[in-house]
Amino acid sequence: MAILTASRSPCSLSPSPRSQDPFWVKKRYSVTQLSPITVTSHLSTVHEAEVHSRSRTITRTPTPVHSVTPSKTSGDSVLDESDDHNLHAALTSEKTSNTVQSEFGHCASQSYRYISQHNPDKPVAEDEIEEPPYYILFTTYFSYLLLVVIGHLRDLLGKRFAKSSFIDLMIHDGYTPLVSDFQSFYARRLVQRVNDCFYQPISGVAGRTILVYDRYSEDFNRTQIYTGTTTRALNVSSYNYLGFAQAHGSYADAVEESIKRYGVSACGTRLEGGTCDLHRTAEALVARFIGTEDALICSMGFATNSTFIPALVGKGCLVISDEHNHASARIGVRQSGACVRMFKHNDMGSLEELLREVISQGQPKTHRSWKKILVIVEGLYSMEGTMVNLPKIIELKKKYKFYLFVDEAHSIGALGPHGRGVADYFNVPPSSVDVLMGTFTKSFGAAGGYIAGPKRLINSLRMRGHSGPYAEAMAPPVLMQIVATTTSIMGVSSVDDLATSKSTSHQPTFKSSTNRVAMSEVADEYLHPGMVPASALPTWFSLPSSLSDGSEARERIRRLAFNARYLRAGLKKLGFITYGHPSSPIVPLLTFNPGKMLMFAQMMRTRKPTPLAVVVIAYPVTPLVTSRVRFCVSASHTKEDIDVVLRACDEVGDILDLKHGKGKRWPIEEIVKRSVELVHSI
Amino acid sequence: MSSAPVPSIALTTPNMSAGNATFEPLLTWLTLILAQLERTFYKVPGSAVIARYVRSSHQNDPGRTVTLMQSRSRDKSEGKLIKFSEKEIDELIDEWTPEPLSAPLTEWEQRDLASVPVIAGPNGPKPKILSTGKTVINLASYNFAGLAGNEHIKERAVETLRKYGLGSCGPPGFYGTVDVHLELERDIADFLGTESAILYSQGFVTISSVIPAFCKRGDIIVADRAVNFAIQKGIQISRSTVRWYDHNDLKSLEDKDRRKRGTPITRRFIITEGIFERDGEIVDLPKLIELKHKYKYRLILDESISFGSVGRTGRGLTELYNVPASQVDMLVGSVANGLCSAGGFCAGSTIRINGTSFVFSASMPPLLANVRAVRAVLEKTEGIACATNPTTVMPPPTGPSFDYEAEEKILQDIVDDALVNGVFITRAKRLRGQEMVETRPTVRIVVTAALTKKEIEKAAGVVKGSVVKVLGKRKP
Repeated sequence: MAILTASRSPCSLSPSPRSQDPFWVKKRYSVTQLSPITVTSHLSTVHEAEVHSRSRTITRTPTPVHSVTPSKTSGDSVLDESDDHNLHAALTSEKTSNTVQSEFGHCASQSYRYISQHNPDKPVAEDEIEEPPYYILFTTYFSYLLLVVIGHLRDLLGKRFAKSSFIDLMIHDGYTPLVSDFQSFYARRLVQRVNDCFYQPISGVAGRTILVYDRYSEDFNRTQIYTGTTTRALNVSSYNYLGFAQAHGSYADAVEESIKRYGVSACGTRLEGGTCDLHRTAEALVARFIGTEDALICSMGFATNSTFIPALVGKGCLVISDEHNHASARIGVRQSGACVRMFKHNDMGSLEELLREVISQGQPKTHRSWKKILVIVEGLYSMEGTMVNLPKIIELKKKYKFYLFVDEAHSIGALGPHGRGVADYFNVPPSSVDVLMGTFTKSFGAAGGYIAGPKRLINSLRMRGHSGPYAEAMAPPVLMQIVATTTSIMGVSSVDDLATSKSTSHQPTFKSSTNRVAMSEVADEYLHPGMVPASALPTWFSLPSSLSDGSEARERIRRLAFNARYLRAGLKKLGFITYGHPSSPIVPLLTFNPGKMLMFAQMMRTRKPTPLAVVVIAYPVTPLVTSRVRFCVSASHTKEDIDVVLRACDEVGDILDLKHGKGKRWPIEEIVKRSVELVHSI
Repeated sequence: MSSAPVPSIALTTPNMSAGNATFEPLLTWLTLILAQLERTFYKVPGSAVIARYVRSSHQNDPGRTVTLMQSRSRDKSEGKLIKFSEKEIDELIDEWTPEPLSAPLTEWEQRDLASVPVIAGPNGPKPKILSTGKTVINLASYNFAGLAGNEHIKERAVETLRKYGLGSCGPPGFYGTVDVHLELERDIADFLGTESAILYSQGFVTISSVIPAFCKRGDIIVADRAVNFAIQKGIQISRSTVRWYDHNDLKSLEDKDRRKRGTPITRRFIITEGIFERDGEIVDLPKLIELKHKYKYRLILDESISFGSVGRTGRGLTELYNVPASQVDMLVGSVANGLCSAGGFCAGSTIRINGTSFVFSASMPPLLANVRAVRAVLEKTEGIACATNPTTVMPPPTGPSFDYEAEEKILQDIVDDALVNGVFITRAKRLRGQEMVETRPTVRIVVTAALTKKEIEKAAGVVKGSVVKVLGKRKP
C-alpha cells in the first residue's frame, strides 16, 4: 500500500492521476454563479487525499544526498506543525479552504528545495547568448517584412476604398488624427494580430492558478467578445514570486484587520497630512528588511523611480544606465535633466570603458568635470532574466567613485538565501550600494515601491522627491500587506518579545511558547538581517507561530529557488534556448518568429487538461528578432506544476520547431525523474 | 527621398563647369537620368507609400533617417574626444571628486520634515495626532465628500480582498487586468458619461503619463501657466512645443491660438486644470469648450481636485457647468482625492492609450478599485456641503515683499499653532526651484462634508486666532 501511494505525488495538481479533476475542467459558469459548496466539498476531499499521501511519502522522500536544507532548520516536526496548522484552518473554516489549493500549492517534499546563493569560490558567470540557426533568423526577419508590406498595402487600399473605417487616421472636421497612421502602424498592423495574447482579464487571485475570462474575436481582434465563461489555468505569468498573492490566510487576515482599523485611504500626500503611524512602521520594517539605515515608501512602483530619481541627480550630473533598464528609470532620468549614457546590457567591460571615457572627457562641450555620476542597474532584468554582476560593479565603484542605484523591482524577495535580493545573493553588505530601490508589487503581493539607503539620503528624498508633496500616500491595507509579509520573512524575535510584554499592557497574541526551541535555533541561522522586535509591530497585529518564526517564508524562498532552477534546467535539457541567470525566477524561452510566439500562447492557453497562462513578449519590448515567452515561477508552484509546464513545452516545442539549443538533451521523463540532480548540477 | 540628390547635383554643376567644361554634358546627363529615375520610381504603384514612409520616419529632419541607420548608441561627439593616454585617464580618475549624492537638508527643511504630523490610526475628519495624542479637526485632507472611514466602503473592501487578494502581481497587459478594474473603468465612464475610461494606479502619475501618450514631438500644447506639477512633468516628457497662457485667462489663451495660415495642421491640445491645485480657482469650462471647438483643439482637463467635489452629484466640473463630459476630449481625474482611494483615471471618447506607466507598471490592487461602493454613497450625498469652492487657499498674510523663506516660516508657525489648538491644516508644499512658476507660499484649507457647520466654524475661528497670534508676535 505504501509503495502504491508513494508513486502518487505528495503534491497535488499532477494531471495524470487526477485528469478528471473538475478543478481543471473548463467550467461553464459566470463568476457570480460559482457555487461554493461543491467546490469546497470537492476540495476537502482533495485535501484528505493529500494528507494521506503526504503522511506516507514523508517517510520515504528526503534522501540524504539531495537534501538541501540543513536538517536542524527543517525538522519534520516544524514542517508538520505548519502543515497541520494550514490544514486545520482549511478544514475548520469553509471560507479558507475554498481557494487554498488554487492560490498556493502544498509541496511537502524537502528535496524540492534549494538555497539561492552565489558560490564565492566561482567567478560570476557571464551571460551567454545562444544564437539560433540562420534559417530561423531569416524567417523571422522575413515575417516582419511580410507583415509590414501587407500592412501598408491594406492601409493604401483601405484609405481609397473603405474610408469610413480609416476616419480616425485622416484629417476630419479640421482635426488632425490623434495618432498618425505611421505612429500607430505597428499597433494596428502587427500588434493587433497577436492582441488576444495581451490584456486578457482575469478574476480572483493571481496565485498558483488564475481564472481567465474566455473571449474570442470575430473581427481580427479589433473587439473581443466575452463568452461569460472562465477557465482556470496554471499561472506561470504573474510576478508572484513568493506566492504572497493570497486572498486567504494570515496575511489577508492582517490586511482585513487594517481595513477595519484604518479604512482604505491615507487621505493626502505624505507631506500634507497623509502620513499615519502605519507608514512609519512599514518604513522602519522595510529598512530593517533591506538592511539599511532608513527607507521610504511610495504608493506606486513606477512612480518610485520616475519621481525620486530627479531628486538624486540634476543638471551637470551623468547617469549611466544599462541598456535594458526599465522605462520608469528612463523617465525619471529624463525628468531630472541629467545627461544619460548607456552601456551594453550587463557588460562590465563596456561599463568600465564608458566610465573611463566620461570621467576623462567631462561634460560635453564645456569639458567641466561631472558633478556626480550615478550608475543605474537592475538586480534582475525583467525581460532577460539576467542578474547584475554586483561584485564587479562594486569593485568598479571603488575605483571610479560613482554612485550606485540598484533597482530591485524583481530581485527583492526572489533572490538570496534570505530573500533580501541581489545583495543577499552575492553576500554583499547592502550598505555598499548607495540607493536600493524595489517594489512590493512582485514578491510581496502588494503594490508600490521603496527606496532604502542611509538616513541622510532618505530624508532628503522625502523632502525633495516629487511624490512627497504631490502624490497620494500609500493606502493602509497595502502597507499592512507589506508589514505582514516582511515580518514573516524576517521572523519576530522572541527576546524583544519578552521585553515588550513587560512594558506594554497589550500583549501581542502570537507569543506561543510551543515553538520556543525552534525559534531559538532559527535565530542562530537568521542573523543576517536580524529578526523584528515585537515592539516594532502594531500591537493589534498577530501572526501564527509558523509565520512569526520565519520558517514558513523560508520554505517559500527555497521552493522558489528550486522551481526557478528546475524550470530553467529542464527547458535547457529539452533543447530550448533560454536567457538569463540560473537562479532567476524569470525564465524567458526564445521563440524568435512572432507567429510562433502567438501560436505558443494559444496552444498553452487551450491545452488539456491543464491550460497554462503564459506571457509572450515581442518588439518593441525586446529586440526585433528575439520574441519570447516569459515564464515567472512562483513559490506557490509545486514540483508537479513545473513538470506540467515542461511537458507542455516539450510537446508544443516539437510542433513549433523551437528546440534549437546546443548541449545534451534529455527526454522529458528523465528530466522529471532526475529533477533534483538537475537543479544542483547547473 | 529620391528628389534630394537632384538639386545637390544641380548646385555643384556651375562650379565644376567653371573648372572643366568637358564634364558639363556628363553632369547634365546624370541630372536627367536621376530625374528620369525619380519619375519612373513614382510611376511604380505603391512607390508613393514608400516615399511617404521614409519621409514620415524621419519626420521633420532628414538627418534622422541617416542617423537611424547608424548605430544609435554611438555618441555624436566621438570625433571631438580629447585623446588621453591610459596613464592620464587614470590620473584624471584619481583627481575627480564627485559631489555627495544628496546635499544635506537645510535647517529649514529639517524643521519642515520634523513638523510633518503623523496620524495615529485612521485618517478622517477628526484624526488623532501621534505625537500629542490629541484629536484634531482635519482641514488638510482632500476628503470632500467625507468618504474616509465609511463603513460600507470598508465592508466592500474586505469582500474584495477575500475574493481577489491584495496585489494583482502583474502589469495590465500580462494578466494584471482584473475584472474589477474593467468594471470600475466602465463605471467611471458611465458616471461621467464618456465612451470609455482607463485606470492608473496613482493619481499623480496619471496625467504625467496621459500627456506624453497623446502629445508627441512637433505637436502644440497650449497650457495654463499655473498648472500643477504633474502636468508640467507630463508636458516636459512629451517634447511637444508648448505655449503658456496667463493663469486662468481665456483671453490670453485665445491669443495663443493663432496659427499661421498655410502651415500644416498639427495636433493641438489645451491642457488645464478644473480646479487649480495651486490657488483653488475654477476654470470657465463652457468658454473653454467654445474656444476649443472654434480653433480645433483637443482639451485635456485635469479634474484631480474637482472630480468628486463639485457638481450636484460630485461628477466634477462638467456637471457644475452642465456640459456633457464627452465634450472634453481627455478628462483626467483622481480617485485618490475626492473618493479617498488611490489611483487616477483618464476618460474620453477616443481612448487608444499607450501611456508608459500604464504599460509598464503593475495595475492597482483590486480592493482599491472598488469604488463602485463609493459611487453609491456619492449619489446619496446630496449637494456637497460647500456651496462655493471647496478648496480654499489662504493668501499669504504679509506685506508686498516676496520673501519665500520668511513667508514659509510664518505660515508654518500658523500651521503649528493651529495644530496645537486642535485644527489640522497644512502648508501647500512645493518643490522649490523645480516648479515652472514660483507661487507665493500658501496654507491650504480643505473643507469636508464630514464635518458639521459648527465644527467648521469653530475650526475657522482657531485658524483665525492662530494667524492673529503669529502675526502679532512678529510685529513688535
